[in-house]
Amino acid sequence: MSAPVLAAVDLAKRFGPVRALAQVSLGIKRGEILAIVGENGAGKSTLVNIVCGRLRPDAGTLMLDGQAVQFRSTVDAQRAAIAIAPQEIHLVPALSVAENILLGTQTHDGLGRIDWPATRRRAQAVLALLDDGIDLDLPAGQLSKPQQQLVQIARAAATAARILIFDEPTAALTDREAAKLFRFIKAFRERGGAVFYISHRLDEVRNLADRIVVMRDGQVVAELDSKTTTKAEMVRHMAGQEMQVAERAARSQAGAETVLAVNGLTRAGEFQDVSFDLRKGEVLGIAGLVGSGRTELGRCLFGATRRQAGTVELFGQPFAPRHPAEAIARGFVYLPEERKQDGIFPLLSIAENMTLPSHRDFTAVLGLRFADMARAVERCVREARIKIGSPRDPITTLSGGNQQKVIIARWLMRQSHVLFLDEPTRGIDVNAKAEIQRQLAALTDAGLSIIYVSSELQDILDIADRILVLHEGRVKGTVDAQGATQESLLRLAMS
Amino acid sequence: MTDTTTISPMARLAAPLLRFRQWQASGVFLALVLLVLALSLATPNFLTPYNLSVVARQASFVGLVALGQTLVLLIGGIDLSVGAAAGLSAIIGSLMLTSGGIHPYAVLPLTAAFGLGLGLINGFFVATLRLNPFIVTLASWEIFAGLTLVVTEGYPIRPLGEQFRVFGQGSVYGVPVPVLIFIAAGALLAYVLRMTRFGRDIYAVGGNREAATLVGIRAARVEFMVFGLAGLFAALAGILYASRMDSGQPSVGEGWLMGAITAAIIGGTSLRGGQGTIAGTILGALLMAVLGNGIVLLNVSGFWERVIIGIVVLVAILVDLFRRK
Repeated sequence: MSAPVLAAVDLAKRFGPVRALAQVSLGIKRGEILAIVGENGAGKSTLVNIVCGRLRPDAGTLMLDGQAVQFRSTVDAQRAAIAIAPQEIHLVPALSVAENILLGTQTHDGLGRIDWPATRRRAQAVLALLDDGIDLDLPAGQLSKPQQQLVQIARAAATAARILIFDEPTAALTDREAAKLFRFIKAFRERGGAVFYISHRLDEVRNLADRIVVMRDGQVVAELDSKTTTKAEMVRHMAGQEMQVAERAARSQAGAETVLAVNGLTRAGEFQDVSFDLRKGEVLGIAGLVGSGRTELGRCLFGATRRQAGTVELFGQPFAPRHPAEAIARGFVYLPEERKQDGIFPLLSIAENMTLPSHRDFTAVLGLRFADMARAVERCVREARIKIGSPRDPITTLSGGNQQKVIIARWLMRQSHVLFLDEPTRGIDVNAKAEIQRQLAALTDAGLSIIYVSSELQDILDIADRILVLHEGRVKGTVDAQGATQESLLRLAMS
Repeated sequence: MTDTTTISPMARLAAPLLRFRQWQASGVFLALVLLVLALSLATPNFLTPYNLSVVARQASFVGLVALGQTLVLLIGGIDLSVGAAAGLSAIIGSLMLTSGGIHPYAVLPLTAAFGLGLGLINGFFVATLRLNPFIVTLASWEIFAGLTLVVTEGYPIRPLGEQFRVFGQGSVYGVPVPVLIFIAAGALLAYVLRMTRFGRDIYAVGGNREAATLVGIRAARVEFMVFGLAGLFAALAGILYASRMDSGQPSVGEGWLMGAITAAIIGGTSLRGGQGTIAGTILGALLMAVLGNGIVLLNVSGFWERVIIGIVVLVAILVDLFRRK
């Protein structure tokens, strides 16, 4: 056994009353990929932030090559050859890919003048390890999201790091790019590098990592061997109990009324010739990875963008909203994928976040009827079992799962007929996810129709009645959820 | 801290205190109270009815402009043209009186409507064409100010007549008319922002424009109207000032832009949008007027006024910064 290159000993960290880490000890060796899995709030990010110098632990030590070290800033961690490829994209959109990769470390002479040819060559060498299809001279802002993610990873790889940290690197990647990333990570391991790999995607973790650490409530609860463990075992440790998978048998709504009929819908570069039906009380899952055009399809149906061809009928009537307001008025509503960016109003209260789209229903001569709104909010909070303090608190005081429940409730307060949910459970912990899915199922029993988009196939299999497979903007087929498997869906997508 | 289940007298006292601390305008309110106390003790002339009415009238012109500017800042925009719009509107209003033969009482609403039109021009470029408000209003500032000079050729338009002077110079029970209009406009706006859909839409658009669009708020319409209102309030301030001077001077509105932004910022309005109150802006405008007045009463050189106001702005944003942490 070689000594660990980096070890954490009894790390602890609190944020006010919240215990984020307690007595966490783990080590990583040269040439090892260590995966860290756990629900949201399990302490993964806190741990990573300590390792890369962003946070300082309240107690415990970090050992680098057997020596205790203290990182006062991310610069200290970088000097210790630790680099992180963060989850969010931080690129300078107007600068070239090459410059983004080497930002701050451009090759320069004694006078500070940048040697552009040398800088470009270095950037090229690094990027070639990941993806040689990206144009080095293009402004980073013109790349697709997955390509930007790869450039960001290249930036971490360009440092002389011996320890690389990946925080949900594949969240925005398509399978093709993810495969390139895995190749890079494995090559890095062969060269003796150590990798911390954080991901929600358990299959991915099992295939890639050498060892898997499961965290829960700020502690390491299990260390698993990736060769022998199973997904069920990981989930069991993550949840701390046998997980209740939504046990909703897919039902056939074959006889039910058609609520939404989409025919040949097209927006060049986003999706082509998309056709499908949605029936009353049905959950139609849309399976498709990032770049499949699913978000763009939702926004177009909702009237946030204009279609170029095709027709849509809602309850047999032509449906072509020019603004989301028109779609909402007809009972077609949309929940955006990026909750923080497009979903919530961070400065407003929980109550107002919930009632904003319903204001027209609460108007009186002299303004809004606040007392009635407060009652409606109370009812929704109770029915959706949202854990809140006071409805007047800012929405940012809630956890991600409860925020999501608030903005789903937003649409239930109005009489909505079709709910387009774009990744409604992304970044939400396992229990909140199961609960949201249970509530959605109950709503369909009351006659609501739901289009449910997710890149996690299991998620869709759990809730959908029928599944539409979208791949690179085209419908690859529609199948009954009954009898479908992750594999069969993937096969269909790749066909 | 108390751990009893019954509400102790301390807790009963603490609740309103806590709410006051969370109120965005509490800082400027405290500063204003302290300043008023200090000036009352330091000078014999501050706390006289005459002086107070002078201060209040001083505050009301820039204050009216600041009300409109607050709305624009709330949607995350900025309107650099308000001072010039006030000036051009004052000139047009004055011409209505001297050359147009329009009844003095009709001039006020007509001038306000003219200002609304000027603001809606900004609104068209910013909201409908989605151009940057800083650049659009920088251009319209130049255009409005230039048109003022074209129309007046640099000469004041006067006299405006006995009947019209009442708006700027008159008072009701000792309260100057511009102050009454300022307070009424402020109260109305505060009500609209707090209690109506339009008001809540303003906060929603300013807080997260994309999310607002996705919940069905027509963000462009809200922005369009808000720029119109900024023009309206600027015009109101301009014509009241002309009435006060009994003269439509080409220089009306000069310096009001910075005063209006400053009043809003001291009052806790965020330049990032979505955060701010009318009460804060009114207090901010009052604070600036009291400061100016204090400098005169204390015989400090008037040249210091701008230095002091600059320091007040820095202090205001520092207080805001620390409160957020």
